[in-house]
Amino acid sequence: MTSTTPATASTEVRRGARLTDGVDQDLRYLIPEGICRTFRVMPYAAIDGTVLVAAADADDTITAHVVAERIDRPVRLVRHTVNEITAAIDSVYPPQGTEVETPEARRARMQMAQMLTRSGLITDEQLQRAMLEYSRTGDPLGDILVSHEAITEDTLVAALSEMYQMQRVGLSEFTPDMEVARRLPEPLALAFQAVPVAATEDLVLLAVARPLGAEQAAEVEDALGSPFRQLLANRAELDQLIQRVHSRHYAEVSTRLLMETRPEESAHIVISGGQKAGLVILAIIIVVCGVIWPWPTAIGLVGFCSFLYLVVTFYKVRLTMQALGTHLETDVTDEEIATLDERYLPMYTILVPLYKEAAIVPRLVRDINALDYPRTRLDVKLLCEEDDQETVNRIREMQLPPHFHLVVVPDSQPKTKPKACNYGLQLATGELTVIFDAEDRPDPDQLKKAVIAFTRVHENVVCVQAKLNHFNQDQNLLTAWFANEYSMHFELILPAMGAAGAPIPLGGTSNHFITEKLRDLGAWDPFNVTEDADLGIRLHREGYRTAMIDSTTLEEANSQVPNWIRQRSRWNKGYIQTWLVHMRHPMQLLAATGMRDFLKFNLTMLTAFVLLLNPIFWGLTTLYVFTQAGFIEQLFPGIIFYVASALLFIGNFIFVYLNVAGSLQRGEFSLTRTALISPLYWGLMSWAAWKGFIQLFTNPFYWEKTTHGLDDGSASS
Amino acid sequence: MSTVNVVHTKERLSGIVQLVGRRPNDVPKRRWESVLVFAFFTVAYSWFGYWVVVDLHVVGFETLDRLNRALMVWHNDPAKLSAIGFDYPPLATLLITPLAVVRSFVTSMAAVPVASAIFAAITMVAFNTMMRRALVAGPLRYALLLALGCNPLLLLYATTGTRHFVWIAFVITALGSLFAWYITADVRWVLLAGISYSVAALAGYSSLTLFVLSAIMVGAILARLGADGVEVEGTVVGFTAPTVYVVALWTVFNFILLWNPFAWITNSSDAAASGGLEMFSAVDLMKATGELVLYGAPLAIVVLPMLIFSGLARGNPFALWLGVMLGASILTPALAVAFRLTDSPMLMRNALPMLLIAVVGAIWLARSAEEGSTLVAGLTVVALVISIPWTLHAMKTYRYQNLEAPFAVAITTGESQEGAETLNGDKVGIVSEQAMAEYIRNNVTSDNSILTDNAQTYAVMMLTGHPEWFFDRVDKSDGPWKEVARDPAGQVDYMLIDTMDNGDLLTKLYPDAAAGNDPQLQAVYKTPRYVLVNVPANYSPNLVTTQDQIQGQPTTDQGSGGS
Repeated sequence: MTSTTPATASTEVRRGARLTDGVDQDLRYLIPEGICRTFRVMPYAAIDGTVLVAAADADDTITAHVVAERIDRPVRLVRHTVNEITAAIDSVYPPQGTEVETPEARRARMQMAQMLTRSGLITDEQLQRAMLEYSRTGDPLGDILVSHEAITEDTLVAALSEMYQMQRVGLSEFTPDMEVARRLPEPLALAFQAVPVAATEDLVLLAVARPLGAEQAAEVEDALGSPFRQLLANRAELDQLIQRVHSRHYAEVSTRLLMETRPEESAHIVISGGQKAGLVILAIIIVVCGVIWPWPTAIGLVGFCSFLYLVVTFYKVRLTMQALGTHLETDVTDEEIATLDERYLPMYTILVPLYKEAAIVPRLVRDINALDYPRTRLDVKLLCEEDDQETVNRIREMQLPPHFHLVVVPDSQPKTKPKACNYGLQLATGELTVIFDAEDRPDPDQLKKAVIAFTRVHENVVCVQAKLNHFNQDQNLLTAWFANEYSMHFELILPAMGAAGAPIPLGGTSNHFITEKLRDLGAWDPFNVTEDADLGIRLHREGYRTAMIDSTTLEEANSQVPNWIRQRSRWNKGYIQTWLVHMRHPMQLLAATGMRDFLKFNLTMLTAFVLLLNPIFWGLTTLYVFTQAGFIEQLFPGIIFYVASALLFIGNFIFVYLNVAGSLQRGEFSLTRTALISPLYWGLMSWAAWKGFIQLFTNPFYWEKTTHGLDDGSASS
Repeated sequence: MSTVNVVHTKERLSGIVQLVGRRPNDVPKRRWESVLVFAFFTVAYSWFGYWVVVDLHVVGFETLDRLNRALMVWHNDPAKLSAIGFDYPPLATLLITPLAVVRSFVTSMAAVPVASAIFAAITMVAFNTMMRRALVAGPLRYALLLALGCNPLLLLYATTGTRHFVWIAFVITALGSLFAWYITADVRWVLLAGISYSVAALAGYSSLTLFVLSAIMVGAILARLGADGVEVEGTVVGFTAPTVYVVALWTVFNFILLWNPFAWITNSSDAAASGGLEMFSAVDLMKATGELVLYGAPLAIVVLPMLIFSGLARGNPFALWLGVMLGASILTPALAVAFRLTDSPMLMRNALPMLLIAVVGAIWLARSAEEGSTLVAGLTVVALVISIPWTLHAMKTYRYQNLEAPFAVAITTGESQEGAETLNGDKVGIVSEQAMAEYIRNNVTSDNSILTDNAQTYAVMMLTGHPEWFFDRVDKSDGPWKEVARDPAGQVDYMLIDTMDNGDLLTKLYPDAAAGNDPQLQAVYKTPRYVLVNVPANYSPNLVTTQDQIQGQPTTDQGSGGS
């Protein structure tokens, strides 16, 4: 930082440098437009190594500080009139439409700043930080201050009430009259953040988060059917009130929307009647053939399974080779992120399902606040279950700023993560929506990368998937294997699938959606235990696509085998569930996706079946090695033997090497050793696969909850 | 329990030397160009090879043996993957098995040139890509490819189906990947190089030397660039894992099937000596090495010192490494003789890897020359063009060789070499095999009706296109075959015997029949090299050879000619 000296224009006029003479070409872009307009400054000349900066308020210390931080030379603030400076700014940065702050808005902002500083509620430093953020985003100064917890929402409401001469209303202890509260339809209530709190025959008292504009007011009046008076309310309290008033509707929609609007895509029925009949007929055919022609039938089954292995292996190798040969993710550079105009950043909804994870909440809040995204553009929904009072209370106790929204999902079946997400999605105000798990640590620039990626990809891309990996990969062998597997999947397989436009089974978190499209798709299936994978396939069927971005979210890898088995069994159950759902009408799927993507979908989902087959083939191989049993030789004649041998000796190594490749691709060099012994991990995968497969018939909708916090001892389940 | 320290991607990658998670600064992909180069050289070499093999009869029997094994993989009764055997590195045969799916493609001998042309074309694609990365202009690239492609030594091995280009193609591809890795720092190229080397290892064991040198280079260059131990170790593990795996797997197979885990080293045709090697003094070896380079790869004489100079004086580690690789390829033949690892010393084909690595070195020098790259590439083209007549002349007279002389004579005169002798004294040609195969095709069509030692009669078997007609040593392994050989009556109708004294087990058991003097085993058809004898149902053998004497090696004749 360099020193600044205030000076008058007349002094500089005498020295021959005037803003009205024009702005020095080399200096015109020294200060970004937002700062120029917010602080009314413009660098215009350099004399004897000192940069002259025209300023409307040359004595303002905050302005001096901000200017000095951005110019690495001695700076002198030179007082000029507002009109002179505005004209100069407009000449350098020609105004475009609504970008420029109106005089009224500026007056309101300055009034707010003065009110808060004069009353000693904020420090100069806090104001400077807020002003700078304002200069980048153009968001209301008060909201910025609240989001950074410089002032409370109540303080802001009080200040706004003073400025707009409006009454306030406290809603924390308020018990609404539901009939009155529901007079304003839910979409309007949500969009305008407004709830009727009382009514007489000719007037409705309407709690609002912010004063409504003329058009909004007219719309509300039409909906209410009577005049109304606005009462300013705390945003967090108002948000809770809206949820209470409309919770029944939200719960109904989150559970039944997909089931009722697209029953054929819902997993509420595990196996359709047609599928049951088909499976029974197939079983009868196999049994009958097995009785009449035992050996040919057994050889046929072995041949079919070997073929299955072969095509899945070939598909994965092909994908990996594609990913190894090039860089398939949608590229976003650091420079692009740095030059992103934050004024145009969309509102971003972050859905965070939480269940019995009270201990993680402080860390979660810290990590979300660490995201490089204006907090005033964040709409963070902390989705809690009604019966999880510990987490709910923990969040309430923290008195989080209003960009965090506590959402309590009413207790009902199925109690699954997708249902909670559906509930939260109805309250979402963001143009884009992303899901993070409670223990997730996304790269700070991930949201901005997703925003830029959406501007770059084809218009049919409605989801951008970030990569997942683990922060506790070094905890033990299991977590290292898990990291190997994720590295392969997210660094190689998914980027190749994304580039090829194949149906992508989405990862559990860090999938960024265009909210409107997500709603159109019916959101997540609450009955599917891998709702993410299912949604990836559904969006593909609708002609939409998923792209990958080169940004990572770190999760906690399961570090204990029983816990890992639970999680993995759910995944495998969900994969089979998803396959069954989408294969209810194979011809329809084929028509919707085309042959190529139909095959890719099946090859992707077949992975779950391959895991089921593994122990059988390992058993046969082991038995043969030790006994040289003749019947095993008979099971593998000719070409089947070649295929099986190739898979045993080459296919298995390829999968090991894919783990090595994925880890190297990610730059996790310490994991290559563990990747080499990953076949032991496959045993666990098959164990979990069988558990999930059996559960598909015994308890299909049961959500095997994963315990988190095992990495640092704060375990909660 | 300790708290996990979470490190985000940017911070985590900040200490890594290699490029991960970012788009590398590399030349754009140009798949069509690679496809065109591949197609051009495959077609050109196949067409030229067909003329050389089918019309001029310059054919290596080792190729016929591998193609016969490939036929057995698909068409034997029963079809057997084990037909690939242990005599050759397994992929040298396995990779050409697709050519034998259609029998007529093999029996017409059209498959012979294709068996090497494909791999030579892959090599050319690798060179072209390397030159693109070295920013060599298009016309110069194509000129260099043509000049290299017309080198007579390369032409011989690219067009006559030999197995040397199988491993060379993958070694050059691996070098190309390391070339790309050094330029882009993209760790993915190390993986691709590792995979290429693993294929090369099982296609030609000689590649293992270059693999070891490459592994050392990867580690050394990373260390020099400041990579920490974890990055060096992880990268080297990623590079070496495929090759270590395939070598370990092959060793286990050797142990399980041959009870000798290292049989692939001690018995293989790549590195096996029977003790019949002539004596070389150190001076002899130096002189022979010099001649080998001078005649086979004269480009190396210029490139090697330049690489070493560039590496040492200009701090160009990749040049230095290429210099070491080139030096190793030059010294390897002499070392093989010094350690008595070969029966075939200082063969001219050893100059092939030297020549190709020298070209890689020249391309790297062109890239390193920056403004002078066009000049360096141009000079390389000139040197390659000049070496064409020089090497062609040397092939006619160089002492240690296989088919070089007949090939050189054939392509300069356009005359068939049937009946000609190589400088080793072997006969060239396949008329004898063709005639016997023709007879069998017309007269014998029952499965397993001809008892034969396939290690000697593979060429006839291959030319019939029907390995299932033969009861050979692959069908039920050596044990059952020997039992039938001692008492063939009622089990087979004929015996096909190699009449030359070169280790045919049936010749040892039935020398009279082989000579046409056994009254019970009447010859039904005879060529200068083979005899097909009838085995009567009441035949009672009067063996002159004991069991011990027929413990023959299944190894095939690795010589160049058909004798």
